[in-house]
Amino acid sequence: MSQSQIINLDEKRDFEVNSSNLKHVRSFCREVFEKLNINQDLKDELVLAIAEAAQNIVKHAYKNEETEDKMEIKISVSNGYLEIGFFDKGRPVEKDKIRHRKIDDIKPGGLGTFFIQQIMDAVVFKEGEKPWINHLILSKNLNN
Amino acid sequence: MSYKVTEENNISTVYLDGEIDMDVTEKAKEVIMPLIEAKKEVHLNLKDVQYMDSSGISVLIESHQKATELGTKVTLKEISKSVLKVIMMAKLEQILNLD
Repeated sequence: MSQSQIINLDEKRDFEVNSSNLKHVRSFCREVFEKLNINQDLKDELVLAIAEAAQNIVKHAYKNEETEDKMEIKISVSNGYLEIGFFDKGRPVEKDKIRHRKIDDIKPGGLGTFFIQQIMDAVVFKEGEKPWINHLILSKNLNN
Repeated sequence: MSYKVTEENNISTVYLDGEIDMDVTEKAKEVIMPLIEAKKEVHLNLKDVQYMDSSGISVLIESHQKATELGTKVTLKEISKSVLKVIMMAKLEQILNLD
């Protein structure tokens, strides 16, 4: 798909950090990706990757604890290059401990990170700038 | 997520409907696991599941493993395109019973 067919955009939204808001995260993503001229399969994959990353914030940065904190998700497309930023104020991510389970080790759990890595071109964890603690960046070249 | 359970010829069929994510996995397990623990053969009908994430996949794995352990079987029926894609992304199509 050529980049001339993909518009530039920059949209962000806050969500309270809890599992019941994951459906709202998905709705936001679907709303944004509806504006992009990309195929439905890719849209569905991107929604899954974003929802898995948001789920990881709930499960790992906040350990499923009740909080009034919000996370922010920012979706940007520029020249056919998609970048999704996740900002949260949970526990600092220990980058060295993030790994998906071996895919042939069949057991419940540990697949979210695998899905994200399968779908996206790059996954980068950064220290968040105040007031944020964590800043995760998922990126993908939509021109390919 | 909503669900319906039917019984026929000693097979319990659970019709799941909606989106299955981390927020509803406990509810899904509360419906499915007691049937497996009662050693019933369970069919999970997924034709009306429009979205499933890694948490939903974990429920499928857990159900399959529990059934195998108890000498019964869980079969996935009428799997929607979007769920099949996630099952295949997890490379589980040869592990779970797909029909």
